[in-house]
Amino acid sequence: MALREPAWRVFAAELTASLHEERGTGERAASYLLSPYGARMNRVLVAGILSSPEAIGRDPSQPFWRARLVDPTGTVAVTAGVFQPRAMAQLQSVPGPRSAVVVGKVHLYRGSDGTGYVSVRAEAIRSVDDPALREFLADALEQSFDRLALVERIRGTGPDSDAALRSDGVPGGWIRAARDALARYPSIDRDAYRASLSAALEVVQGRRSIVPPAPAGPSSVRVTPAEPPAASARAPPSAEERAAESEFLDALDELVEASSDGYADLKEIVQLLAEHGLSSEHAEDILDRLQEAGVVEEPIVGKLRRP
Amino acid sequence: MSDPTADPGSEGPPEVRLKDLRAGDAPVHIVARVVSVERREYTRPADGRRRPFLAGLLSDGTASVRFTWWEPPNEPIERGTILRATGVQVREYQGRPEITINFRSRVAPAGPAELPPVDADDMPLRTIRELTARDEGFRLEARIARVGKKAVMVGTDQREVHEGLLIDGTGVVAFSSWSDFGLSSGDAVRISGAYVRIFRGRPQLVLDSNSLVAKIEGVGLPPAPDLAASAPRRIADLEASQGSELGCVEGIVVGLLPPSGLVYRCPTCRRPVQGGLCTTHGAVTGVADLRSRLVLDDGTGSVTVNAGRAETEALWGVGLDEALERLRRSPDPSLLESSLADEVLGLRLRVRGRVYPDDFGLNVYPDAIEKVAVDLDARAAELARRFAGAGGSHGSA
Repeated sequence: MALREPAWRVFAAELTASLHEERGTGERAASYLLSPYGARMNRVLVAGILSSPEAIGRDPSQPFWRARLVDPTGTVAVTAGVFQPRAMAQLQSVPGPRSAVVVGKVHLYRGSDGTGYVSVRAEAIRSVDDPALREFLADALEQSFDRLALVERIRGTGPDSDAALRSDGVPGGWIRAARDALARYPSIDRDAYRASLSAALEVVQGRRSIVPPAPAGPSSVRVTPAEPPAASARAPPSAEERAAESEFLDALDELVEASSDGYADLKEIVQLLAEHGLSSEHAEDILDRLQEAGVVEEPIVGKLRRP
Repeated sequence: MSDPTADPGSEGPPEVRLKDLRAGDAPVHIVARVVSVERREYTRPADGRRRPFLAGLLSDGTASVRFTWWEPPNEPIERGTILRATGVQVREYQGRPEITINFRSRVAPAGPAELPPVDADDMPLRTIRELTARDEGFRLEARIARVGKKAVMVGTDQREVHEGLLIDGTGVVAFSSWSDFGLSSGDAVRISGAYVRIFRGRPQLVLDSNSLVAKIEGVGLPPAPDLAASAPRRIADLEASQGSELGCVEGIVVGLLPPSGLVYRCPTCRRPVQGGLCTTHGAVTGVADLRSRLVLDDGTGSVTVNAGRAETEALWGVGLDEALERLRRSPDPSLLESSLADEVLGLRLRVRGRVYPDDFGLNVYPDAIEKVAVDLDARAAELARRFAGAGGSHGSA
């Protein structure tokens, strides 16, 4: 059976603490975001206050919308594009902040400074009332407790104990996720995360409400200045650098040409350039320069085009 | 040449019961009932000529074996026919005996009285957990957890089939019976002469006129379960056990798969009509119906719930007549599907029914779908106890 990926019940803080990705290989293989707290996420279910959506990207034929979801632990970006038409319509349907549950695929973008930005590409969105929101937060709390307890339970044990766990009814996918969490995040403070869930517990208990979204938060999108800045103070690039830039732009144009959405995927550009001997750091430097000069823009995380 | 009119019973070696068949050179003599049969053709690579043959399953109540019948008679051999065959070859395939009927064999029709008498006391006692595909020649003691009858079309005949569930201390198995044994829910029974087939990826016990059913005391058998009271299981559990006859799951609707909403079905067989064509009955005028294929997810896994018209109407709040009226007003069926999706996505449901695996995961054929009302205060209290009680993260999973 090729099983559909389950929607992990998680909080925003678990998503934003997740830095490791497991890339699938082969055709149609799934990728997973590995959390420190025992989740191996391809799909998630999150609930909280969803902010007004904003359109990103300038091409009206390729709409792409983004909103912020605030839960008792933090904030995560929720996006929807042309490939999620129903979710996009749902995202746009309500202007103001509202309580909502969102199911979608996790997406990790690693910025040029190495910072990871996690977003959720929505597949389904539903506005909910306050009791229903608290029910979803209760689900996330219960499964977070379960997963954290499992991580502690298997700490120091080998795979030979997995059969016993399975016969206790622990899902196989959870065992694997817990082992990954221990291996990838050996020194993270899970007790501190668990303690921080008191905020979520209080919301479930009805003793407080979710703090409304702060106006500015860490954004998963780099905003391109509307006007190109004045001439750079930097020394003009060498001929070698110019050659590298033109190679970058060639790769970009080639990928835009081949794409269905008019964007070039940054990862694919880096890959193409790597074949010409350019390191990924070098490629990121070139991108920064080209963006500064207004030659290239990145209206969607990881998606490039010429303005 | 096989000759159905010859009487092979008066000569040759004695009959062999199917459970005693061993692969070997010497041809054997059998009497058996045709359990299933299919006419096929084989194209000889040498000259491209096509040779017809029959393939299927024979049973004499002690075992069932696959058979291949080369150069069969032109008249159809039907399921249920009892045959006496001599000069039959036995070979072994994947550890099980198989029979070949060829030009050296002689085949004649036989009556039920000629089948070897099956002494139920001779048969080994099995438990439900031990049943595997094509098992035959066993006794089973179990309790009827549920039974009902439905009318099915076999060819042009309408026949009645009795379907239900059997339980013992080791598990649950679905059964279907072509004969009416007067079974009712709660009865404890001893069944012999039934066989096991695989239906939708799960074992199913089939009873026919050759089977014996006796009511017994049933000491030691579990009582008939309250089918509406079983607790939900994690979907990951059901994935590990490849489904269940008595499944109960609880989760959130995270997706709606096509075809959902307004669908059209063949008036004869109820299969979905595509492009005005039924895969079995050709060009037909489809009959409108409602259905939904809900993806239900509990955080450990997901199932596809195949909800019929009544369940879809209850979840959607839109009946078939209103759906058709909406379609007349704005003739775009996808609007109906969107409306259904908006209504069901995010719902918290408890679903009971049969859970069967296929290539894409588990499918639920529901007996009941209900919206779950959560006691938030109780859940909050339980979570607070867990939060405070464990202190660190050293609870049990």
